[in-house]
Amino acid sequence: MKQKLAYLTLPLLMAAALTTEVRADGETIAVFTKNQTNPFFQTVRVGADNMAKTLNAKTLQYIPTKPDSIPEQLSQIEDVVVKKPSAIVFTPVDYKAMVPGVEKINEAKIPVVNITDRSAGGKFLSFVGADDYSLGLETARFMLKTLGGKGNIVIIEGVKGSLTNVDRVRGFNDALKENAGAKLLASQPGNYQRLQALQVMENLMQSNPQIDGVLAANDAMAVGAIEALDGANRKAQVIGINGTKEAIDAIKSGKLLASGDYNGFAQGCLGTMMAIRSLRNQPVIAEIVLKPTVITKDNYQPFDVPLEQRTCPTFEEASKLGAK
Amino acid sequence: MTDITKDATMPPRSFLSQDAIQVFYRLLAAFLICAVLAVLSDSFLSLGNILNVLRQASLTFFIASGLTLVVLTAGLDLSVGANVALSACIAGTVIHKTGSPALGILAGLACGGLVGLLNGVMVTALRIPSFIATYGMLWVLNGLTYWYMAGETLHGFPAGFRQIGSGYLFGLPIPVYLLLVFLGIGTLFAQRTIWGQEIYAIGANPVAARLSGIPVARRLLLVYAVSGTMAGLASIIFLSRLNSAEADIGESLTLPAIAAVLIGGTSLFGGVGTVFGTFIGALILTLVLNGMNLLSVSANWQPLVTGIIVILAVWLDMKTRRRAQ
Repeated sequence: MKQKLAYLTLPLLMAAALTTEVRADGETIAVFTKNQTNPFFQTVRVGADNMAKTLNAKTLQYIPTKPDSIPEQLSQIEDVVVKKPSAIVFTPVDYKAMVPGVEKINEAKIPVVNITDRSAGGKFLSFVGADDYSLGLETARFMLKTLGGKGNIVIIEGVKGSLTNVDRVRGFNDALKENAGAKLLASQPGNYQRLQALQVMENLMQSNPQIDGVLAANDAMAVGAIEALDGANRKAQVIGINGTKEAIDAIKSGKLLASGDYNGFAQGCLGTMMAIRSLRNQPVIAEIVLKPTVITKDNYQPFDVPLEQRTCPTFEEASKLGAK
Repeated sequence: MTDITKDATMPPRSFLSQDAIQVFYRLLAAFLICAVLAVLSDSFLSLGNILNVLRQASLTFFIASGLTLVVLTAGLDLSVGANVALSACIAGTVIHKTGSPALGILAGLACGGLVGLLNGVMVTALRIPSFIATYGMLWVLNGLTYWYMAGETLHGFPAGFRQIGSGYLFGLPIPVYLLLVFLGIGTLFAQRTIWGQEIYAIGANPVAARLSGIPVARRLLLVYAVSGTMAGLASIIFLSRLNSAEADIGESLTLPAIAAVLIGGTSLFGGVGTVFGTFIGALILTLVLNGMNLLSVSANWQPLVTGIIVILAVWLDMKTRRRAQ
């Protein structure tokens, strides 16, 4: 289907390439992310900037000053509808509450790509995201394999009710179900916060003399749990999700077993790429769900470079990444 | 309203007065929660868990103890959490850049204190209501921290520095020693010094306080500066316990600190309350979370349970207060 589309658009493309070559550059892409605090969205923004630079376009970053603020993102949308950028790369701060905002963008006829969290409504020319469920599943599977399929496990959950948390924890639980020898001792909330995860872990260690594995729904909580274990002179295998710099360092030093790569950089790159390609009448991929990568001590090297030095995937690579 | 309102200018107050009764009720509530948890969970009453709870309560207490003084003057400091975040990020950067934990600690405390002082200036010189002034400050601090950190995480600090938050001395966690020290200093300051008594008087009746010659503005400056400095101290404990800091660590600290003050029996209208009560408040909040973890209460129910306990505690407070009079 995709290939057919490519064939169909190829002649069109060649024609377009000749006629639009000159004015193809300099598009402005408005990039919407959820907050300034989560390192993940920083990687998204760097990815978007990187791709825009490669393609000679500009980015305009829209970030709510209050993290994940629905009214603030709505007013930013009103702002952007007036400013009319060439295209928008959009992460909703809330996948349901932002639907009216997306509809405003649609009414203003600004092409928009959805990245990271899938919006519950509105029209998008493409979706680029990671699959939280399979990230949770694969990372937990890796830990359980390391533990020989058995052991006492605790889960530290993220923010209750958030889309990422629901899917990640579901992945964890499904991996546990595959291993009859693994016993889930407790599944407690750490709200994606380092301090809360540390305290939850300290408390759980009081009631559980033997904990073999910790499944944390993000890296900050995983590192918080490791601090708690260290403080009590206890050892357990710990995994996190997101593939942050801190997690890579912890994997390198052997404290963290693994982290599921949420790949914000690629999401930023590909979201921006799809937006610009559509403006230049090049084919786009309607849906890219990045395959889960589990970062471990054996494969961390490519992730251990500063963001600015990473290179965006090409369109051909994107087709492979997003094969679904 | 209590006696002190009617007679605001009459120090000194005795610790064994109406405040003692309030503190007694609070201790009773804490013991009740402990008793229930001890029955429900075998591991609750272990020495390890008791130390664990005290260490966890210490962070909330540090923030809440300074805040107690502010609330005693009928003010509020909403910027404490954001202050912890900025101070932690600055202290962390200084340690990374200079390699000196001492300089880092100094920077963290100075940052916290300076922010507090600015709050005080806004409240006294500019006469902005404390709620608004510190709410504005919260945004200013968040903005600075987000910009400064740009989504990065500071992590990895010297082992010696880590001792402050995670070390032990004669079997007790070091934050617990700090907790006892500041509990002692706070209580003595509020109950036994003239300045402390003046702070109560300002909260009970600012006009009467001014007329009786208390330098209200200077005392308020002090109170906000102390609140800020305690946030700075909390940032150091945070940093050395967690070995890292990021821009969003403060958000989840402010409300529990305010809750600890209120559960502890300090009135939002000023003039009534104790630092010891705040300690019990922090303890109750920590016990509830500890208990829910030990009993593996589902994540779905935890906010609900916490909310009910907070409401119950404040209701009990009002009820016993009425009876005490």
